[in-house]
Amino acid sequence: MVKWSNGYQLPITSYQLLIMARKLIRVSRRMLFTWFMLAGFILLFAPQNLTNNFQFAFASLFRWPLAVGRNISLFTRTWQSRPGITNRRESEYENYIANLTEQLHSERQLVEKLTRMRKRFGLQGADLIPADVVTASIGGAHSELIIYCRKEHGLAKGQFVLEDNSIIGTISDVWARNAKVRLFTDPASKIAVRIGKLNIDRVMQGSGNDSAKISQLSTKHNIKVGDHVLARKKPGFLDTSLIIGTVATCTWDKQNPLLWDITVKPVCDIERLNSVTVIIMNPQE
Amino acid sequence: MRWLRFAVFILIVTVLQASLLDIVAVTKLNIRPNLLLTLLVFFAIYCNTTDAIITSFAIGFVADISIASAMGSQTISFGLFGTALAYLHRVIAIRKMPYQSLAIFITGSLIGALAHLLALLKGQAAISNIYTVILGTALYSAIVGPFLFLPAAWWMRIKTHRFSRH
Repeated sequence: MVKWSNGYQLPITSYQLLIMARKLIRVSRRMLFTWFMLAGFILLFAPQNLTNNFQFAFASLFRWPLAVGRNISLFTRTWQSRPGITNRRESEYENYIANLTEQLHSERQLVEKLTRMRKRFGLQGADLIPADVVTASIGGAHSELIIYCRKEHGLAKGQFVLEDNSIIGTISDVWARNAKVRLFTDPASKIAVRIGKLNIDRVMQGSGNDSAKISQLSTKHNIKVGDHVLARKKPGFLDTSLIIGTVATCTWDKQNPLLWDITVKPVCDIERLNSVTVIIMNPQE
Repeated sequence: MRWLRFAVFILIVTVLQASLLDIVAVTKLNIRPNLLLTLLVFFAIYCNTTDAIITSFAIGFVADISIASAMGSQTISFGLFGTALAYLHRVIAIRKMPYQSLAIFITGSLIGALAHLLALLKGQAAISNIYTVILGTALYSAIVGPFLFLPAAWWMRIKTHRFSRH
């Protein structure tokens, strides 16, 4: 009932009530646009660890349909052959052999130096945590995976992520049930690496498009296409060097012809991954 | 505007965009059509201006949470250019499919470029050939986009043959 100033009471329908409410909360288009723009800028300049929660919440809420869609996508992709990568099993063995060769090289160095250091063998002391891939953003401005893995397993930023016996990236964010993996091809990724048997450390930075770049390496070093690129050991995160990619192209740097411009490609098909393994060194009991 | 239908529709499209669309990706750059961009243009053309502003920002926000990007960059870009397109539609009719394709291509290119610049402003690194990816995505969306207008109109119960400028 609506009570008017002259004392009359009139019945009111819900539709009329709705129209009245709309008139009361009417906002001009200009104001609406300003509010939304303001909200956008707040989101843009808010700390990333806060805004990441939205992306994690989306991945958690729609984990099941996203996984189904991704499986269908992977299934269809298995019919398409990609140049450079033969089949997954073969590349897995090749990477395994590459890792063994690297270990053999390390052993030889040990013998040459006649040290009696304790032998470190692969990932013997590490916890290997398998995790399913929820979403993958590859090929755009960023190369990242969101994986389903609980924080209680001991996940932390900076831990290396392995698949098909090769390093594919590092953990960049950890949430309660999910974690974000920054692939080494992401432009924000920087990983210390070594090429073949050269005993020189260089930083490899992602360049998108399923590749990464190594710069600041003098042309006096003999680099060949196909040379293995190994992620350097990092105390607390990786106790042994592991293969991360191979040299795809090696040309003179356009700005400085005394340096190499090296492009590195992954040794496994990152786009087809549906599960990965997180390496946790020195696991807590 | 049927907002519940809109919310369900956007969520379904976002999940499809984030998971299933890899099937139709082309080239080594993994270029896929942007369904959210197509919907942005659809709502800007077939809704009144106020609804178009709300839908533009809402689509931008879901693009932000589903695509690995600097949060907020897509919201601002989609909102800005969706609103501009809605106002433009009051002056220039975008009824025929070639015009709709052109609208998708131009809007997609501008949105991609602005989102990239905003991401740079936030300090995020970008790939070397980002503009190829942006133009490729806009072109791919422009080719397939107008064909998706009909199912979108059916779901949203919008009559596409009735022409009006709000």
